[in-house]
Amino acid sequence: MNGDIRSQRRRPTWLGPAILILPAFAVVFSIAAYSAFSLFQLSTVDLTFGEPFRLAEGVGLQNYQWLLTNEHSTFGATVRITIHYLLGTLIPELLIGFAIALLLNRKMRGNSLFTALLIIPVVLMPSMVGLIGRLYFSYDGLINFFFESVTGVRHNWYGKDLALVAVILVDIWEWTPFFILILLAGLQTLPVEPFEAARVDGASRWQSFAHLTLPMMLPLILTTLILRFMDVLRLFDVIFVMFSGGPGTATTTLPLYVYRTTLVQRDVGRGSAASVMLIIIIVALTVILIKLRERIKFEA
Amino acid sequence: MKVKNRGALLGSRILDLLTIAVVAAFLFPYLFMVSSAFKTRLETFAYPPVWLFTPTFEHFENIFDNMNILFYMKNSTIIAVCSTLLTILIAIPATYSFARYRFRYKEGVAYGFLFLQMVPGISIVFALFFIARALNLFDTHIFLIVVYLLWNIPYAIWMMRGFVEGIPVELEESAMVDGASRFKAFRLITLPLMAGGVAATAILIFIGVWNEFSLAFFLTSTNARTMPTTIAFFMTHSGIKWGPMFATATIGTLPVVIFALLVRRYFISALTFGAVKG
Repeated sequence: MNGDIRSQRRRPTWLGPAILILPAFAVVFSIAAYSAFSLFQLSTVDLTFGEPFRLAEGVGLQNYQWLLTNEHSTFGATVRITIHYLLGTLIPELLIGFAIALLLNRKMRGNSLFTALLIIPVVLMPSMVGLIGRLYFSYDGLINFFFESVTGVRHNWYGKDLALVAVILVDIWEWTPFFILILLAGLQTLPVEPFEAARVDGASRWQSFAHLTLPMMLPLILTTLILRFMDVLRLFDVIFVMFSGGPGTATTTLPLYVYRTTLVQRDVGRGSAASVMLIIIIVALTVILIKLRERIKFEA
Repeated sequence: MKVKNRGALLGSRILDLLTIAVVAAFLFPYLFMVSSAFKTRLETFAYPPVWLFTPTFEHFENIFDNMNILFYMKNSTIIAVCSTLLTILIAIPATYSFARYRFRYKEGVAYGFLFLQMVPGISIVFALFFIARALNLFDTHIFLIVVYLLWNIPYAIWMMRGFVEGIPVELEESAMVDGASRFKAFRLITLPLMAGGVAATAILIFIGVWNEFSLAFFLTSTNARTMPTTIAFFMTHSGIKWGPMFATATIGTLPVVIFALLVRRYFISALTFGAVKG
């Protein structure tokens, strides 16, 4: 091993790095390729879950066609619910998270302890978070207790009107600290000089926030949003444990749709086709967002 | 002037209290859950909620004596430890290569890893289910250990790359000038310096595997079942067994919370794939 790497200077320069990357590359890409191949194969057959694979009947791309065009397909509705879920979580999480990050960004005793404690919601077991949510949002639960104390009414969070809101509120509790922690780290590394100059020039607090803090924080805000966007779009466990996509289809986001089609309706073909589309949606939108962020970075 | 100062002081006190209130609000659901693990069934369902009660340990006794929770903890530990160690072992050379060499398509390959990391577990879990069946590896530790590598290795590479790039390359070069081989320079100089970052990465991967639900849930039944997926046992036809479930959640989240607080210095890098330093 020693000799190999030492003498790599006389060999083509790509050989050394290639040998070092090879194990990681081989493991990751072979698992990915094997799964991708199987997934695509499953998405082109008609197969009931539980039946042996040899009974699968090839149907070409009909599963995709059915999902996208058939009048009984709820794929479109699922996409709509997913968009509601995305907007309902990301926007409040960003706004509340940024506000709290600004609040924490000042000298105060115990500040580092507080930020450390905010890690806790982020690292809890999602399945357990789902169960906590299920109990707290029950009719006799904690959330209704607070609601009744303030507004005098209790709500049926398990109903189809509010189930998605309940799931969103759980996500906001769990993941707002993510925005707080990252944005606070960003705020603490901002240069001091521009703010001092602005104060000398008589800028108000609001002006220096709008013209200095916000533009300087924009790239980081976008990075954080992209990371959360990917995570929200693939979130399965919390919703599965809380309502498993129900009642009806009220909380059936795309990952839940994949599960319900494959295991509840036992339609492996359409479930796999939906999986492929979920992967394409995530990768495509993330690439677009990364490009967008780069463009904004250059303009700023 | 004096009045203004007093006003500023008061304002800052109010902000202090607000900060404490905000942090308390985020911790409250967790602490209430932990406290519920020590409540009787009646107290858990009391409306309005019970705040003061005599703690009971019956649920903890129950999960250890009747639900065999140690077995699932053991499975979780085996899978998380093995997958983490394998990940680090495989990722370190690749990380070094990305951090220290210049070669064509480097960023392309790095982003290739990142994109694979983005694939949702739920979208390939049923394909993996068929693969596991075909290979006779359904419900085994080894299958989960290997499958998790798909997400862990890219994550480790992106995390650790930043740590290696933060170590001046001159240190290694001067060792090589003194006659050390490139590998020896790495082992004696860079590796000890990146040890903290490697440990933090390992802990964060451990937490991820320990908490992972969708793959573990659909790729195991009894033999390799992990802690997070035991929730199915608590959702019975006669309702949810809240007490034992909260006791399990308390025990299952405790190591994670402790670990996370230990590596809090690295946490910002962890959340952003090394894109932002804390």
